Amino acid sequence: MLLIECPWCGPRAETEFSYGGEAGIERPADPYALSDAEWADYLFFRRNPRGAHRELWHHAQGCRRWFGVERDTVSYRIEKSYRLSGAGSGRPAAAHIEASKEKRR
Amino acid sequence: MSEAGPPRPRIAISVRSGRGFLNLRLNPRRGQALEAAERILGQPMPRAANTFTAGENEVYWLGPDEWLVATGAKRVSALGSELAEALGGFHAAVNDVSGGHVELLVRGADARTVLAKGCTLDLHPREFVPGQCAQTGLGRAAVLLAAGDPSTCTIVVRRSFSGYLRRWLAYAARPRGARLPAL
Ligand SMILES: [Zn+2]
Repeated sequence: MLLIECPWCGPRAETEFSYGGEAGIERPADPYALSDAEWADYLFFRRNPRGAHRELWHHAQGCRRWFGVERDTVSYRIEKSYRLSGAGSGRPAAAHIEASKEKRR
Repeated sequence: MSEAGPPRPRIAISVRSGRGFLNLRLNPRRGQALEAAERILGQPMPRAANTFTAGENEVYWLGPDEWLVATGAKRVSALGSELAEALGGFHAAVNDVSGGHVELLVRGADARTVLAKGCTLDLHPREFVPGQCAQTGLGRAAVLLAAGDPSTCTIVVRRSFSGYLRRWLAYAARPRGARLPAL
């Protein structure tokens, strides 16, 4: 079982949390400017890296707050967890779309 | 050899009836809102995560902008109105959630040992000290657990889970000589 550090409550058992997928995905500011492929990419495609991964967790049975976690997907080691408020916690949609295009090339 | 009687229970599980609950949300960075609430409550609000203050009421920290106020069922309605009025000028919310919660008391020398059977937190009196509280899992229920003195724990649980939790507690406490509390 993972021991996950909630930024407010401290280390708690994995059973208290629910997983929210890749972190930092922002809704495109103007969806109508996107092609169907780009929109589908924003909705459905995630990076799934081998190694360092920024992801969202929800302290469902605790303080019920969302927060970010940096986890290694190979070793499951959690490098850090952090509160989401504040600048720099998100990744602009354009960059995300570019990155995922890059991935599929 | 003398006949040993049945073990004397070192744990008692009871429902604390006649309780009312308010959910209180406000931005603690607005110090004035916090102070306005404290004036009405007549006691300090817990600033630190996972702590509570006991006075006329118990005020539990639930999240960085959320608290649970436990008070008498007869007082809850008036207290809610007073809080709502005092916080009228702030971005805040006061909700009476009395209908949704049940407060249980688990007392006795074995209280923490029995709770530990279904809880992943370290409940040793050295770690879970008086004044601390935690929202966590107990059995399969989500609960608010609060430490009174070393032999007393308060549990606030959703009403729909309280029957299950009381049965779970009774089952977990049975080897310690406890009997099923009235449902
Ligand atoms: Zn938490």
